[in-house]
Amino acid sequence: MIRFENVDKWFGPMQALAGVSGEVGRGEVKVLVGPSGSGKSTLIRTVTRLETIQGGRVLVDGTDVGSRGVDINRLRQRVGFVFQAYNLFPHLSAIGNITLGLTKLRGMGKAEARERGLAELARVGLAEKADEMPGRLSGGQRQRVAIARSLAMDPQVMLFDEPTSALDPEMVGEVLAAMKQLATSGMTMICVTHEMGFAREVADEIWFMEGGAVIERGKPAELTGTSAHSRLQAFLASTSHGGSAA
Amino acid sequence: MLEILENNWLLFLVGQYPHGPLGGLTMTLFMAATALALCFPFAIALALARLSPYRWLRLPATAIVHTVRGLPLIMFIFWTYFVSPLVIGRAVGGVETLVIALVVYEAAYLSEIIRAGIEGLPAGQVEAAKSLGLRYWPTTFKVVLPQALHNMLPSMVSQFVSTIKETSLGYVISAHEVTFAASQVNNVLLTQPFEVYGILALTYFVLCFALTSLARFIERRTSSGRGGAPGVIVAA
Repeated sequence: MIRFENVDKWFGPMQALAGVSGEVGRGEVKVLVGPSGSGKSTLIRTVTRLETIQGGRVLVDGTDVGSRGVDINRLRQRVGFVFQAYNLFPHLSAIGNITLGLTKLRGMGKAEARERGLAELARVGLAEKADEMPGRLSGGQRQRVAIARSLAMDPQVMLFDEPTSALDPEMVGEVLAAMKQLATSGMTMICVTHEMGFAREVADEIWFMEGGAVIERGKPAELTGTSAHSRLQAFLASTSHGGSAA
Repeated sequence: MLEILENNWLLFLVGQYPHGPLGGLTMTLFMAATALALCFPFAIALALARLSPYRWLRLPATAIVHTVRGLPLIMFIFWTYFVSPLVIGRAVGGVETLVIALVVYEAAYLSEIIRAGIEGLPAGQVEAAKSLGLRYWPTTFKVVLPQALHNMLPSMVSQFVSTIKETSLGYVISAHEVTFAASQVNNVLLTQPFEVYGILALTYFVLCFALTSLARFIERRTSSGRGGAPGVIVAA
């Protein structure tokens, strides 16, 4: 589904990604963990060309994301992206955020788009907030609207860039619940997160990144079990909150 | 001073209308509003060109903006006044001349306000739009500009205030606006220039102060209206 082949990315003199390779199969959930600046976010941003790369290839369903001929906007419609800062459009209501893509890209009429949008909001438990402006929603609600906005485009893959890091602790659960539900429904997902509970529950594999490279990968049980001597384990021990939140 | 106002208030307000062309304060406001409205699409185009990734759009737009901002408005008024008859083959009235000159001039200034408004948006807004698969135009017109223009409303009111004051230069080409009306009154009275132009100054001041206050009011409302900026993380 998604393949990274020796991906190199430079920010000026700083190498953000150094020869990252890996594959995410259909229906798989990968969790990316690592210290800040290790390249996790940059890696998933290369999937929809929010970051261009200088070496290697990123393939989505066999299509080279970086090639000149690719219709990047079409590809982006198939790959949902959820941001740490939600990035809801503040001038549009919750439902307006969702219907924008449907009316502009899917050619839906207003009524049809609204119906679809309401269904997506119901899926994340926010149907009654459809006409609220984002400014009046809590952080957790905003992030769930953002997830609904991505899901409305019927993506084949969902990318999550630290979706709970900006949230107050009491709101993390509601967003994780929405993500777990999505994972169990068979969605292909790459999640950058430090929520190890979430990783243990739904991840098929954890990739531990450091210095722009994936230095360790394995099943959650192998990497985080009590007998494991993994780099991930050491990293989690070094972060004071033991891996509940980043 | 009151007596002057009592005898001439209609001239100050509408010029010689209905016995002659519309003028006075009404014309001042009309010209300022028209110029600002007409320059708006040009200003947006200039701002977008200035922010374009394409050099062939960015460079000329930047050159235009810098050239216009580096010249006094009265140059544009004179050029329009003397050149446009050559171009269209007939004399052009003061009002039209002033409006055309103001459109060119204000487009450059307004475009900088719009550019700042666009650049002031969090980068995540465009990224979110891109991630949905939206192309440049829907992203610009449905996501970027509505927010940028909303945030810029106070600056645009301030720009309107500057434009109102700039219309007074129309006096030199006999555009019938409020400064022209004041000079007509002064020409009749001859001996009371301080009072006449005092009234004129007061008129501008009251109008502009009211609008500036409005701008401040809008500014307060826009910063609180949407509950802060939800696109920005306050504490991560």
